[in-house]
Order: sequence, then structure tokens, then C-alpha cells
Amino acid sequence: MRFLLATARKDLLRLRSDWPALLLWIGIPLLVGGLLVLVFGGDSNPRARLLVDDRDSSLAGRLLTGGFSQGPLAEIVDVEGVATDEGLRRIEDGDASALLVIPEGFGAALLDGRPASLELVKNPAQTILPAILEATLDIELEAAEVLRRLFDEPIARIAADEDREGFPPDSLVASVAAEFNRAGEGARGWLLPPAIELATVEPPAEQAFDFGRAFFPGMLILALLFMATGLSADVWSERRLGTLERAIVTPGGVGTFVAGKWLAGAAALALVAAIGLVAGRWAFGIEIANPALAFVWLALVGVALLAAFTLVQVLAKSERAASVLVNAVTLPLAMLGGSFFPFEAMPSWMVALGKATPNGWALLRLRAIVDGDPEPRLLAVSAIGVIALLVGGGWLVTRRIRSWTS
Amino acid sequence: MIQVDELRKEYDGVVAVDDVSFEARPGEIFGLLGPNGAGKSTTIGCISGLLTPTAGSVRIQQYDVAREPVAAKSRMGIVPQEVALYEDLPAEENLRFWAEAYGLRGERAAERVRAVLDTVGLADRGNDRVETFSGGMKRRLNFGCGIVHEPEVLLLDEPTVGVDPQSRVRLLDLVREQAGAGVCVLYTTHYMEEAEALCDRLAILDHGKIIAAGTLEELRGKEGERDLVRLSGSFDPEAVGRAVSDVEGVEIVAAGPEQVALAVAAASRRLPEILTLVSGTGAAVRETTVTRPSLESLFIRLTGKELRE
Repeated sequence: MRFLLATARKDLLRLRSDWPALLLWIGIPLLVGGLLVLVFGGDSNPRARLLVDDRDSSLAGRLLTGGFSQGPLAEIVDVEGVATDEGLRRIEDGDASALLVIPEGFGAALLDGRPASLELVKNPAQTILPAILEATLDIELEAAEVLRRLFDEPIARIAADEDREGFPPDSLVASVAAEFNRAGEGARGWLLPPAIELATVEPPAEQAFDFGRAFFPGMLILALLFMATGLSADVWSERRLGTLERAIVTPGGVGTFVAGKWLAGAAALALVAAIGLVAGRWAFGIEIANPALAFVWLALVGVALLAAFTLVQVLAKSERAASVLVNAVTLPLAMLGGSFFPFEAMPSWMVALGKATPNGWALLRLRAIVDGDPEPRLLAVSAIGVIALLVGGGWLVTRRIRSWTS
Repeated sequence: MIQVDELRKEYDGVVAVDDVSFEARPGEIFGLLGPNGAGKSTTIGCISGLLTPTAGSVRIQQYDVAREPVAAKSRMGIVPQEVALYEDLPAEENLRFWAEAYGLRGERAAERVRAVLDTVGLADRGNDRVETFSGGMKRRLNFGCGIVHEPEVLLLDEPTVGVDPQSRVRLLDLVREQAGAGVCVLYTTHYMEEAEALCDRLAILDHGKIIAAGTLEELRGKEGERDLVRLSGSFDPEAVGRAVSDVEGVEIVAAGPEQVALAVAAASRRLPEILTLVSGTGAAVRETTVTRPSLESLFIRLTGKELRE
């Protein structure tokens, strides 16, 4: 027991002295989680940036662009005035969703009923946001055309009076206002049909896809997988250093030595698991139904992976062969086990395979714990399996190491 | 005490140690002398429990290494041929780990760590990581890890290989100190001068077998007080053999086309006679060396080859 604890302490001290590696292991879930936040955005509402080069500076142009700053559109669209060159450059840089160029004379042409054109340059790297801007612009132009036709005659009268200096006379303004009112009353039957009552039915809120919840448990398992791989290689370092042989000839023997190494590994893996769980809560706001159980499960999974990978390491004939062998095992496990790609995004045959991998199995149990449905029977079976792996794996690893020297 | 009886170790049919028996006593430095590949490290491996013997037995004090490994191993200290240290840990932590590996704990372990650091001359470097040490310092710490638990039996497997002269002298002093404190020391080396200077008794090993054993005086006595005459040049080995075969007090040790070694009583007086005989066979002698009776000359006489081959 003393030798076991001494070995664990020694390995923890060595891990602490190799703090860059420890930081890297701890950083894996944080880094990947952070990348996911950046890629998919911490805010669930995406925003479009509309750049406008308004060469006309007319009321029509201002109304057109002002429409993007009204109501719900204001929540997803930012409008910013730029020159065309700068706008094109920023589109190229991916800094905006679209550039709207309003040519000189646009407002006058609109009032006169003459053909008028606008230029909308869309960012080809974006799909949805430029389409929203284009559709909104179409609607605004349709509305402008309808208004122009409705108020064609009074507008023409005001336009005809343009030679007069100063404001139009009150009589003209009053008559035009009265016609506006009559036209509005006339269109009321279509615009505000009283016979139709709009009943708004709120459908049950559909849960939005939660990237954090979907990816983060997998990231945690992935971090443990990589860390267990790295820790398991230490058996080769010990052999290279000569300390493994020295340990074999101690009264405690190599079995205790390996157990001590696994104990240190379990402590380090548990630390990373704890940091990962805290980070999950902090970065993704993931509510973990039973954090203590999640922690214990992750620690158990970590030490099981460490035992399994140590066995793979010692089965190889050399350190280099072990590295190749472990990578050949780790990468398919990571790909299939739901860490790189969620099971939801995999074809069914791959899901079946992935769920049968040790890390896939561990991930499913972790998700169940996080969701508050921990399946006690499966957890108990898994815990027994881990203990069996530690005992059986420890025996095999010890035998294999003994065979290296004897 | 180390008691080795009829020890044999085979690897895939190749015999590395063949019927080796000896006994090393408390307070004694027992040397295993032999060229590389003679079976010294394999013998130490079997004694330490690192290797499983094919046949024979090893006892440490009264404990059989195979049947009572824990009791036997807890009384042994090992200093391996290669430095076996955690370079990313301070010297103090290395010593502490190996002390705890042998059951020391608490203040007792701390006390021993301090004492050993002082013994190996690293008291002021205890908190420094081993990777910052020179080769000689690492060798001394490697030695310290083997004695930190105060073993009754100390196994040293060529501890001075690749060590600078100053560190070598220090290491040899440390070995003597251990023996002086009553520790039974088993010391393997292929350095003759080291064995002559250090060991109370010796066994000369070649091809896995002990070819001679005893105190230095006993071994020199086997040599018969004859000098070793080595001639370099070009020779007909058979002709040289015939020429000296009937000469009293002269014995062919080794003969090859470029070198001939002869054991000769009072060589300095008889050298002209020997050179005349050898030259008479058509040989061209370019260089002549006369060595006083030594382990080396004994080894060459027993095995027909240089110890460092």
C-alpha cells in the first residue's frame, strides 16, 4: 500500500512538473467548447450587417434603408453607411451580409414612376442572411410602388407645383391630405378586413438545437480519451528511464507499481473531468442533473480508458509500435464514439457501431446522467465492468512487463 | 549474505549463465569480473529477482529469492548499470520515492534522504531537478537511490561505466564505505584495475561460467608468478607454438597472425632467448610488452583473450 501511494505521489509530482501537458489536457474540453461557441455563436440570434452606399440621399432612399431598422428586423439587421469600394472590400472580408447601392436620382425616378434600379451585392459566403435582406428589400419596393400608384395624382400635383418657391400653399396640402385619407378609407376593406379575425395560436415551443448540450459531453469523453492515451505511454518512459526495472526488484513489485500509476492517472483524469464539468456549466450553461454522479462516472471512465490503453501499449513490441497501435485504436474510437460527430448526425449503421465502443457507451451514460435519467442498472453493470477491467488488465499488464525482463 | 547455487539462465536455448555458484559475505566486496557479454548482468538480474533463473537458487541472507521474494528483495539494494532516475523530479524526490518503495516513511524517510544526499555529495542540490545534473552527479544519485533504505546486500552492476575519473574515485569510496558498514557488496565490472583495487574476493566470468575465483592473492597464485609477454608483428602461430613448446617456464597463452601472448617466468631475464626463438620461425616482431602478474594476465591465460574484448 505504501509503495502504491508513493508511486501515485511520484507520478502526480511528475505530471505537475510537466505542467504544459497537463494544461493541454485540461484545455482540450475548454478549447473545443470555446471553438464551438465561436463557430455557432454564443448568442442564438444571428445578425446581418447591411452596408449602404446612398448616393441619392433622398427621402425615398432613407425610408427604404430605415425599414431595416424597424420592428423585428432591427433585432437581426445592422445598417451601416459606407462607400461602395469599402463595402465591397468588407463583403470580401466576410464582414457584412450585403451591400446596397442606391444610385443618384433613385428617389425622383420613384416619384415620377420612371424605371429605377437598386444594386444589392450579396456575400456569397453566407446563405440565409443575404436572402433575408434581399426579400425584405423586394417587399419594401413593392410597397413603395403600391403607395406611388395609390397617391399618384396628389403626388403629381405637388410635383407640378415644384416651380413655386417655398412650401406649397395650405389649400394644396389640405386637399392632398384629404385625398390621402379618402384613399386610405377606400383601401381599408383590403388592408384591415374586419370580417376576418386572426386567431394567433402559439404552437408548443420547439426546443432549439443546443450545440453545447449536443457536443460537450462528447468533448469531455474525448478529452479523457486523449489524456488516457498520453498517460498510458508513461509505461514506456519508465522502461526507457530504467525505473521500471528498478521498480520490479522492489518488494512491492511491478503490480503495485502499475496500480500506483493508474491511481495517479485517475486523480489527474478526475481533475480534468471536474474542470470540464465546471466549464460546461460556465461556457454552455449546461444544467447537469447530477453533477456528483457525472464526476464519478467520468473518473471511472477515465481510469478504465487508462487501463485499456496501458494494455494496448504493453502489447506492442516497441515504443514506436505502441504509439502507432494506440493511435490506430484511438482515432476510430473518437470518430465512432460520438465525440467528433454527435450520434444524431451519423448514419444508423455507424450509430450502432459507435454506441458499442467503450467511449460511445460512456458518452451515452454521461448524457443520461446530464439529462437526469442516469439508468442505475446500466451504471452498475458498467462499474462492475470497469473493476473487472482494472483487475484483469492489471494482471495482464503486469505479466507482460515481467516478460520484458525475464 | 548472498548465496548463489548452480545458477543457470537460458534465453531461447542460449545459455547466458551456466552453473554459477559463489557466496558473498557481510562486509565483503565480492567482484564479478568479465568481459562484456560474459553473463555478469544476467547473474545480477537473477540475484535481484529481475530475471527468473532456469535452474539453481539464490538466497539473500536466509531468504530464497524465488520462494520468499518480498523478504529477500526488501534486504537488497540495486544500483543498475544505466542511470535509472526520474529526470523531471528533484534529487530529493527521487530518493524519497525509492525510500518509500522499500517501506520507509515519514521522518525516517526524510532523515535517510538527507543523509544520503550528504553521503553522495549532493546536499546542496537536493531540490534541483535531476535533468540539470552532470553525468557524474547522476551516477552518484543513482548510487544513493540504491542505498537509501540501508540494504544489507548491495548489488552494483558496472556502476562506473562512462563516469569521469573524479566521480569514479568518489563512487569507489562510497562502495568501500558501504562494505565498511557491514553491507555485503556484489560488484560487477570489466575494469581490471577497479576489481584489483576494490574487491576482497573475485570470480572471473566468461561465457556464463566462473573460470576462476578467490582472493586477489589466490588468483595471482594461480598465475604462477609468471609475467605476460605480448609480441606484436606477423607470425605463423603454429610455428611459434612448436618453437616454444619445449622451453621450460614458457607457455603459449594466445597465438594469432598478428599477436602472440606468452606466460614466462622471469621474463625480463629471458626475453632475448624468447625473441630469438620466435624470430627463428620467420616472424617479424615489431613490439614487445612485458606485464607483471595481474588479473589481466590471468584472464588472458585462462581465456586466451583480452578482458575488454
